[in-house]
Amino acid sequence: MVAIAHLPRLPRRDDEARAHLHEVARGAAPVVLARDRAVPLAGELGELVPDGTVARGSVLRVTGRPGAGATTIGFELAAAVTALGEWAAAVDVDATLGPLAAADVGVALERFAVVRRVPPARWATVVAALLDGVSLVLAEVPRGVALGDARRLEARARERESVLVVAETRGAVWPGSALYTLHAASSAWDDQGAGVLDGILGARRLRVEVEGRGAAARPRIGELARAG
Amino acid sequence: MTAAQRTCALWCPDWPVVAARRLDPALVDTPVVVVDKGARGKVVVSASAEARAEGVAVGLRVREAEARCAGLVVLEADDATDARAFELVVRAVEQLVPRLVLERPGQLSFPTRGPSRYFGGDDALAARIVACVRELDVVDVRAGIADGTFAAGLAARTAHESWRERGRDAVVVPAGETTAFLAPWPVTVLAGSVDAAHGGGHDLVDLLARLGLRTLGAFAELPPAAVLGRFGPPGALAHRLACGEVEHEPIATVPPDELLEAIELDPPATRVDEAAFAAKMLADRLLARLDALGLSCARVIVEAETEHGEHLSRTWRHEGALTPSALVARVRWQLDAWLLTASTTGSVTAGISRLVLAPDDLGPAVGRQLGFWGGDPAAADRAGRALARVQGMLGPDAVVTARDGGGRTPVERIRWVPWGEPRDEVVALPPWPGAVPGPAPARVFDPPVPAELVDAAGAPVAVSGRGEPSAPPAGLRCAALPDGGGPLVAWSGPWAHDLRWWDARRRRALWQVVVEGGPDGAGVGCLVVLERGRTAVEAVYD
Repeated sequence: MVAIAHLPRLPRRDDEARAHLHEVARGAAPVVLARDRAVPLAGELGELVPDGTVARGSVLRVTGRPGAGATTIGFELAAAVTALGEWAAAVDVDATLGPLAAADVGVALERFAVVRRVPPARWATVVAALLDGVSLVLAEVPRGVALGDARRLEARARERESVLVVAETRGAVWPGSALYTLHAASSAWDDQGAGVLDGILGARRLRVEVEGRGAAARPRIGELARAG
Repeated sequence: MTAAQRTCALWCPDWPVVAARRLDPALVDTPVVVVDKGARGKVVVSASAEARAEGVAVGLRVREAEARCAGLVVLEADDATDARAFELVVRAVEQLVPRLVLERPGQLSFPTRGPSRYFGGDDALAARIVACVRELDVVDVRAGIADGTFAAGLAARTAHESWRERGRDAVVVPAGETTAFLAPWPVTVLAGSVDAAHGGGHDLVDLLARLGLRTLGAFAELPPAAVLGRFGPPGALAHRLACGEVEHEPIATVPPDELLEAIELDPPATRVDEAAFAAKMLADRLLARLDALGLSCARVIVEAETEHGEHLSRTWRHEGALTPSALVARVRWQLDAWLLTASTTGSVTAGISRLVLAPDDLGPAVGRQLGFWGGDPAAADRAGRALARVQGMLGPDAVVTARDGGGRTPVERIRWVPWGEPRDEVVALPPWPGAVPGPAPARVFDPPVPAELVDAAGAPVAVSGRGEPSAPPAGLRCAALPDGGGPLVAWSGPWAHDLRWWDARRRRALWQVVVEGGPDGAGVGCLVVLERGRTAVEAVYD
């Protein structure tokens, strides 16, 4: 009791030491910047997108005609998430996704759930439920998604800090907005000479165009080389 | 310290072999082993008497077992089959005594206080039970009565070992003599129980043996506080077992009444997987609630009601605390037994309309440790809940993870595993001769999309029995391609696959083609399959 009563009159010679301590503590405290919480993208895809990362809570659009490589780009985004030890899910409207190609680009299949044959009427509910639980949802857009549903899904992704990748590979259009669009323009197979036993499909060059808002306003075009 | 309840253990040795023989009578009188995956690959978990006579022992690798015994029949372990076969034994015993607890297929126990008074003593009860099971053509059955489940189990084992010499098939340890009965046993018998509850049971018994404590008697003489201080909770559990006491002290707090979890199934479940899926949800909910209360349960009562008002109930016990997967496995076995033996026994005449899981024998939750390295358990939990919700919306088969199952074409290679079922991870696949070369396609069509592969003149390309094409292909038309297909930039193949060489109709030829799709050599890679004269696109390399 006596000691507490005398406390205000104690000499404060250690102010300098305290300031030093605070400085050290500030330096050691874990500071999490938005940049650090984003999902880093490796390789050439990382050089194409602004900052080389995908911000959590954002919506990305992936487009491309069949065979141009849009699905592969979607798998690469999922691979970036599973590489962090997190979970990804795909909404496979007509059950045609080839998961072995996902494994080829680095997706950990045990953390990559696929929801197959989703009826269009329940598509928005399923995507919303998945956004609650996993870090990235790769969703094919069926025809006739309402603008209101799209807005709700965007809000859900932002709130849960999950990435929503909408793939317009079925000819349908995502009515909502997106941070940027990854457009698979074309895919060229390096000629190995017709008829060889190793198959004609080996190394591949994907031509990708990135365009969007903010830092991605200026369109960028790049090529991704993939070994066979 | 509380002395353990007087318990009878009934044990059918090598039940997996017995169950397999009941299923397939051709296996009688042949040497049979049942194998399961162990730490070192497949090892024998159960062997028939014929195989044992040739030197096959439990724990042996399959290859060694086959080397020792010519003509050995090797079967894979299947707990569901074992549980289904054991259901008959359970039903027979149930006619005589109440409050059965199933430990695993092949072993059950029950408290004997009431029944042994009714039947005129422990000896008479044991003889009665054994005779009743014998009537079901189960030859090898043992009973042991002692204080506590652990000692009763050991007594049943004694009965097994002394059977050939003295013809005894039941061993009754008189009340109060359990400690003396346990004393000469080696400490290694504790390993299983400690392993199930805390893990590290084998390390513990190794250490005890190295410290010179080779028998349960020597271990039991140590003061309990010193054992707890030196060996922690696993040691304390082992010590209580060695002293013939209950496995854990009854908890002082009174558990809330409504701990049971129930679900109404509408429409009633007639298939095991439907009911098991509902049971998984129940098990998760039940264990989450127990978790929140700091409790764990060693026994769970599975109850089901059918549409016709039949009421079924069974108690399962697990050494140590029940985990969700262990609990679901037990519920699945039980449902399997009820639903699949329904036709023969007539006990269940309709689908299951209500399923209840009630915890029993609650104890404090101890010895659980969350993962330190490797993954964020909270993230896995969150993902698990979300995926389970989608399963609830679309059915259990709609949410899957994929695994490479080996094969020649993309469709053959993909195995879909419903979410929540065990993924049998394959470390390394053997090489597949004739597999489609190159990268895996990102779009796989099952069934393949009909297409037309034509030569320069526009005629369909055929492949002869020797795998020779009729003409080089020049164009592909298919609805799955942009603009319906077009001329080919490049092609390779055909690769002829004889699916069944004895059956000429099951042949197919595969082509890899690149359809023209843009400037500077861009194209759409496709896998074309030609089978029974029909051409189709099986995959697009998107």
